[in-house]
Amino acid sequence: MSDPVPTVKFLGLTFNVANDLSILITCLIVFLFVFALSRHIAMKPKGGQNVLEWLVEFTNGIVKGSIKGNDASHFGLYAFTLFLFIFVANQIGLFIHIQVGEYTYVKSPTADPVVTLTLSLMTIALAHYAGITKNGAKAYFKGYLAPFTLFLPLNIFEQFTNFLTLGLRLFGNIFAGEMLLTLISGLTSSKNWISYIYSLPVELAWQGFSVFIGSVQAFVFVTLASVYISRQLTPEE
Amino acid sequence: MLSHLIIGASGLYLGDMLFIAISFIILMALIALVAWNPITKMMGERANKIANDIDTAEKSRKEASDLADQRREALSHSRSEASDIVADAKQSGEKQRASIVADAQNEATQYKQSARKDIEQERQDALKNVQSDVADISVQIASKIIKKQLDPEGQQALINSYIEGLGKHES
Repeated sequence: MSDPVPTVKFLGLTFNVANDLSILITCLIVFLFVFALSRHIAMKPKGGQNVLEWLVEFTNGIVKGSIKGNDASHFGLYAFTLFLFIFVANQIGLFIHIQVGEYTYVKSPTADPVVTLTLSLMTIALAHYAGITKNGAKAYFKGYLAPFTLFLPLNIFEQFTNFLTLGLRLFGNIFAGEMLLTLISGLTSSKNWISYIYSLPVELAWQGFSVFIGSVQAFVFVTLASVYISRQLTPEE
Repeated sequence: MLSHLIIGASGLYLGDMLFIAISFIILMALIALVAWNPITKMMGERANKIANDIDTAEKSRKEASDLADQRREALSHSRSEASDIVADAKQSGEKQRASIVADAQNEATQYKQSARKDIEQERQDALKNVQSDVADISVQIASKIIKKQLDPEGQQALINSYIEGLGKHES
C-alpha cells in the first residue's frame, strides 16, 4: 500500500500495472476454479459439479430474491461471475502481496476505488440498459418523474449515489482491511523477534475477519446489484 | 496515500476502467462457455427428469392399485362362482337321487302290481279250469249215478247254476 503507483502508457491510455496484474490473476483464478469444477457434468452430479451447482443456486437465489419472474434468468450469469470475481478479488490480497522496490504489484484489486467503481458503473449501466429494453425508452424516462415531476433532480441524484455507494462500500471495506493488515505486519518489521509473538495472533485474527468481510461484501454487492436491476425493470408506481 | 486517485495526478483512469470492464466481460464469456451453459442446461434437464419421474411414478402407482383392485374383484367373483358351482352340483345330485329313488319306487310298484295281476289271472284261470272240470266231473258222476234217466242237455243248465253258486259262495 505504498504511495507511488507503477503505471504504463499504452495507446495514449494510462494503465495502473498493479491493478491490471491483480485483476488478471483474479480472473485467472476464477476461471481455473470454474473450469476445474465443470469438467464432468452429468445428470447425477458428484464432486466438483455439486460445488458448482451449489454456487449457481446460491447466486441464482440472490438474483431471484429481488428480481421477480422470468427476468431473473437473464442476470444469473452476471451475478455468478460478479460474485466469484469480487469474492476472489477480496481474498487475494489477504495472502498475496507482492511488492517490488517501492511498487506493490499484486494486491486485492477491490482495494482500489477505480476497480470497484468500474464494477458498480457496469452494474448500473446494465440495470439502465435492461430497464430501457424491457419497458421502452418512454417508460424509462417517465420513471424519473415518479412520483411527480418535482422528483426529477432527486431521482437523477439517486442513480448517481447508487453508483457511488455501491462501489465505495466495497472499496472501503477491503481497503480498510488491507491497510490494517499492513499496519499489523508493520509492527513486526522491527528487529525485535518478540514482536512476532504478539503481532502474529492479531494478524491471524484480522485476516480471518477479513475473509469474513470479503465474503459478506461480495454477497452484498451482488444483492444490491440485483436490487438496482430489479428497480429499473419494474418502474415505481 | 491515495494521491494517485486525484484526477490528473496520473491521467484519467480510462485505461484501467477499460481493462477491468473488458477482462470482466471476457471472464463472463469464458464462464458462460465452460461452465454456465452446460450447468444450467443440465440443471434444467434434471428438473424436467425429476418432474417426469414423479409423474411416471404416480401413474404406475395408480396402475398397480387398479390392477390390485381388479384382481381382488376377480378373486371374489371366482369364489362366488365356485360356491355357485358346488351348490348347483349338490342340487342336481339331489334331484338325480330323488328321481332315481322315485323311478325305483315306481318300478317296484309296477312289478308288484303286475305280479299281483298275474297271480290273480292264474287264480282265475285255475278256478275256471276247476269249474269246468268240476262241472264235467259232476255231470259224469251224475250221469253215471242216474244213468239214462237224466237228459244231459236238460240238466246242464241246472248244474251250471249250482256250480256258479258254489263259486260265489266260495269267493
